[in-house]
Amino acid sequence: MRWVWIALGAVFLAYPWVLAGPFYERMGALVLLAAISGSAWNLLGGYAGQASVGHAIFYGAGAYLPLLVFTQWGLPPIAGLPAGIAVSVLIALVIGIPTFRLLGHYFTMATVAVAELVRLVVSNWDLLGAAVGLSGPAVSRGWWDLSFRSSIPYYYIFLAVLAVVLLVTWQMERSRMGFYLRAIKAGDRAARSLGVPVRRYKLYALMLSAAFTSVAGSLYALMVGFVDPDSGLGILISIEMLIIAALGGAGTLFGPLLGAVILIPLQNATNSWFGGSGSGATYVIYGGIIMLIARYQPGGLMNAWHALQERRHRRAAAVEPRHAA
Amino acid sequence: MLLEARQVTKSFGAFTAVADVDLGVAAGEMIGLIGPNGAGKSTFFNCLTGDYAPSAGTIRFDDHDVTNAPPERHARLGIGRTYQVPATFEDMTVLENVMVGAFLRHPHRGEARDAALAVIELTEMTEQRHLRARTLGTPGRKRLEIARAMATQPRLLLLDEALAGLTPAEIQRAMDLVRKIHATGVTLVIVEHIMEVILTLAERIVVFNQGKVIAQGKPDDVVRNEQVIEAYLGRRKAHRR
Repeated sequence: MRWVWIALGAVFLAYPWVLAGPFYERMGALVLLAAISGSAWNLLGGYAGQASVGHAIFYGAGAYLPLLVFTQWGLPPIAGLPAGIAVSVLIALVIGIPTFRLLGHYFTMATVAVAELVRLVVSNWDLLGAAVGLSGPAVSRGWWDLSFRSSIPYYYIFLAVLAVVLLVTWQMERSRMGFYLRAIKAGDRAARSLGVPVRRYKLYALMLSAAFTSVAGSLYALMVGFVDPDSGLGILISIEMLIIAALGGAGTLFGPLLGAVILIPLQNATNSWFGGSGSGATYVIYGGIIMLIARYQPGGLMNAWHALQERRHRRAAAVEPRHAA
Repeated sequence: MLLEARQVTKSFGAFTAVADVDLGVAAGEMIGLIGPNGAGKSTFFNCLTGDYAPSAGTIRFDDHDVTNAPPERHARLGIGRTYQVPATFEDMTVLENVMVGAFLRHPHRGEARDAALAVIELTEMTEQRHLRARTLGTPGRKRLEIARAMATQPRLLLLDEALAGLTPAEIQRAMDLVRKIHATGVTLVIVEHIMEVILTLAERIVVFNQGKVIAQGKPDDVVRNEQVIEAYLGRRKAHRR
């Protein structure tokens, strides 16, 4: 495990030197940002198997609050980051407490409904810039505004945050919580019979996931310096997190990172091929990826890799005599 | 009494699956619940585990009222269970499955792992500990369910048809395991509809038919009971005797 961390760290630290230039630097930052939000989604949707299609709410809360504290009180946007986390966790509780009482797909459906509701409310809320949105400082007033022309500072900030998210996920995966979430995903009735307080653990996962998603939203707002209902709360944002995690491997540590490394450059390429009309192509690509994953590899790429390795191990083990179960 | 069910009734709409059932289980006993298909034994069993809330009646375990308590509280108090159709965590290994149970009493990973390995040893699954549950056959998965439940350190273990679907040789192995667990001091309640098996295993038999307890007692007495023979084998067979 350790060498995986070291190798990944080295690759991502070196990337801006290997592929220099504003285009690659910005794309690198966007990949890392998508990996952060995908990994955040993964905590709940991947490990606990509670697929949310409304994580844009938390992303949006994270994106809006930094720009709100700037437009309202002239504070540096970063000051809004903790507030975004607080608001996200609060919303997570409001959604999670009633819906986790229900089994099955109610949670997923509730997240879609609440996310669209929030988008509509924000689109008409003058304090949050309504349909026009909010902007950050046009000219940086100092380093504390975290407003840079180059993408490189953002790249390294995002890399540090991603490292924290992955380390927390890794620790969680190995702890009681990780085992409990996987058990809940595999069958919550059996999990309860073993003493797992299912609802409480789903709620923990949702809160943690919401908090990290909110951080991703804040980082986005810091880099772009602008947010409107579509870029902060659109349903595509939720779907993108889901696809990135599912493509790379939901419920695996590095799955979302892998998904982001594939999806974001692909998205960039289609946007440049199709130009201004490219936003429609994004939906087509997402749809295609969902179909491919569902048909061929529901576990995503990481799980395909694990399955392949397992088959090799089993073939090697088959040579030895086997005992009846 | 370790477990005491009083006048437990469970209805689904107009259908009463279990009616006014009383059952007391003393610590250290090994009890068999038998009855033909649809007799209500599984429904009653699920009331005991907290999976169903009884429509009426009370259930007490070790001086706690657990009538309407959720399954996780049952587990915490010391009631373990298995499922008729094994509900193992398919993508997790044998060891990981058992660790989920062990985490109930051992919050830390290392301790949970040690406790799980001890249970795996007891249930003779050491060689399979790194296999995923989905790769095990039915006997293996039933054994894994018992191991997983044992990892929660139950005082009472409820087995729901742990022997159904096994070959005679596998049944023998499973019965050895059940005896071994009983010898460690765990009280057992076993639901089974293969009568031959349960009669040799249990010390006391409780017979269900049409939602009611129609007989209970020592295995030898129960098999001679006219009502039991009739319920189990049909009227004709009962008359022929």
